[in-house]
Amino acid sequence: MTADRTSEVAAKMNRHSKFRRRTAATLAIGIALLAVGALYSLFVPEPQTAAAQQDPALVRQGEQIYNNTCISCHGANLEGVKDRGQSLVGVGEASIYFQTHTGRMPAKSQGAQIQRKPAFLSPEEIDAVTAYIVSKGGAGPTLPEERGEALRGDNPARGGELFRLNCASCHNFTGRGGALSSGKYAPALDGVSEEEIYAAMVSGPQNMPKFSDRQLTPEEKEDIIAYVKSVTDGNNNPGGNPIGGLGPQSEGLIAFIVGMAALIGVTLWIGAKS
Amino acid sequence: MSAKEPVERPTEAELADMSRDELLVLGGKLDGVELVEYPDPWPVKGTRAEKRAERLVAFWFALAGLAGLAFLGVFLFWPSSYKAPGGSDHFWYTLFTPMLGLTLGLSILGLGVGVLLYTRKFVPHELAIQQRNDGRSDEVDRATMVAHLADAGDRSTIARRSLIKRSAGFGMGAFGLGAGVFAIGGLVHNPWSQSESKDSLWHTGWLETNGEKVFLRRDTGDPHQVVLVSPEDLDVGSMETVFPYRESEKDDHEALSRALKRSDNPVMLIRLRTEDAQRVVKHQGQEDFNFGDYYAYTKICSHLGCPTSLYEQRTNRILCPCHQSQFDALQYAKPIFGPATRKLAQLPIEVDEETGYFYARSDFIEPVGPAFWERKS
Repeated sequence: MTADRTSEVAAKMNRHSKFRRRTAATLAIGIALLAVGALYSLFVPEPQTAAAQQDPALVRQGEQIYNNTCISCHGANLEGVKDRGQSLVGVGEASIYFQTHTGRMPAKSQGAQIQRKPAFLSPEEIDAVTAYIVSKGGAGPTLPEERGEALRGDNPARGGELFRLNCASCHNFTGRGGALSSGKYAPALDGVSEEEIYAAMVSGPQNMPKFSDRQLTPEEKEDIIAYVKSVTDGNNNPGGNPIGGLGPQSEGLIAFIVGMAALIGVTLWIGAKS
Repeated sequence: MSAKEPVERPTEAELADMSRDELLVLGGKLDGVELVEYPDPWPVKGTRAEKRAERLVAFWFALAGLAGLAFLGVFLFWPSSYKAPGGSDHFWYTLFTPMLGLTLGLSILGLGVGVLLYTRKFVPHELAIQQRNDGRSDEVDRATMVAHLADAGDRSTIARRSLIKRSAGFGMGAFGLGAGVFAIGGLVHNPWSQSESKDSLWHTGWLETNGEKVFLRRDTGDPHQVVLVSPEDLDVGSMETVFPYRESEKDDHEALSRALKRSDNPVMLIRLRTEDAQRVVKHQGQEDFNFGDYYAYTKICSHLGCPTSLYEQRTNRILCPCHQSQFDALQYAKPIFGPATRKLAQLPIEVDEETGYFYARSDFIEPVGPAFWERKS
């Protein structure tokens, strides 16, 4: 009988602890979710602001991040390391913005071309690194105050003219990209933000030439961005499929194959005995 | 052998009495054709199947008509002027050209299918046999034909009218000569004999005329806007396409936009990075063609004349997209890869003391672009 009772109590206790465990788990998940939400709201919506201000705390934080992620290729004093990375003195805010936001820096490996990948540094870390590198002196190209759609000019037609004159030789006339020498290439412009296009134009990443504000005025740059945005991201696609966006080659091939098949079909139908 | 069997020809009275069917058979016989099968596709008139076939053909023709009207409507009323992407109008605008094609294409397709269906459903599918004549014509036919031709020539008296013969020969011969000039004229008349003109292959739009300075001008997208280039305009590691400009063209809109379009005008103005500029190897006779870090090369490829405007600012290579020729901007733009064998011509540039703008000291000292017959280098 005692044995019976003990087992009964044990079963009861068991049930209790199970309940407790379940509540604890639910609570823990709730707290974790809340914490993640709080962190998210802390990190994400902060809009990028011009990072030229010399906040000593920010510079110190930037130095730390620099020492953790950039120093092995760019050197302790930003002087660069031979055959690994260039000097960063005077590269300017726009260059740092482009390289880190497109995930090209920190680079995975040395190669013909450093490729776009998800950004490794968070926007706050990028701000800090920028403050640190800019504090080391040398005035480089900067970004304008505006962000996002505000960087699209209101004359995409003129932007198109300028794009075809200055950019299309490498990036293709609708921004599909193209080959360069020895394994390098000009990337396609799909999914590139307005700020990144602007930063690339003023800073000339990798083998892209720079376009100073006297060569292409900021208004002209914004018109170019408006044009790029009007033809990339599936916007220049009235037929439903861009088939590579290469112009007459792929379109001609498809037209030939589809047209020939249709013609053969019709011919067979005409010649068939009823 | 001659397969012709003599066909009995009807007399005039018989002909008048013949029915249309008989006339048809007779016509066939006279040509050696025999109709084996000539079925009526609808032997029983007014069946439902026949009515259905008739409606089907009518449907396609009506569809063609409606689609044609729709084409007119689209052409006149569909929003056709450019709308930037983003707005709701953009979607309708992008459909303009496809709708034109769709409606007119449907219209012509309807006509075609209608005609085809009509022939398939209603025109009898006859089966006819025609005798073929092998070998050459009968001896009689040949002899009479030759006699006929000779007689015609004789009776026209051409054989003894030498004045007419000679004048006709002169007229036809001169005409033939004129027509032949099209074929061989290009080999006779040399379009490049005036080699000092800027329109000859030896010179470009940069040729100085009337002692007027030729400035370097940038294209801003507005062909009538004149913006000149000065040394502080470009960042290091930059490339800009420039075109010739003369003061006298200031208000001449046509000349201004022509300068941007002329095929031998585009010049790449490159500002090398300072550390690269120290490694430059200059071509003999072109030591002073650059201005500091600024070098100006023609954009016209020396292989087949494509625009070589893919400039890599780190490797200092200039690439041609057509056949993958590569030129080294640090070594007087000599070819280092690909089919091109000659360097890109370099434009001698200088900065004007008064205005501070770049100008070309002279035209290129060699022709730009691909080889031509008279060119020896």
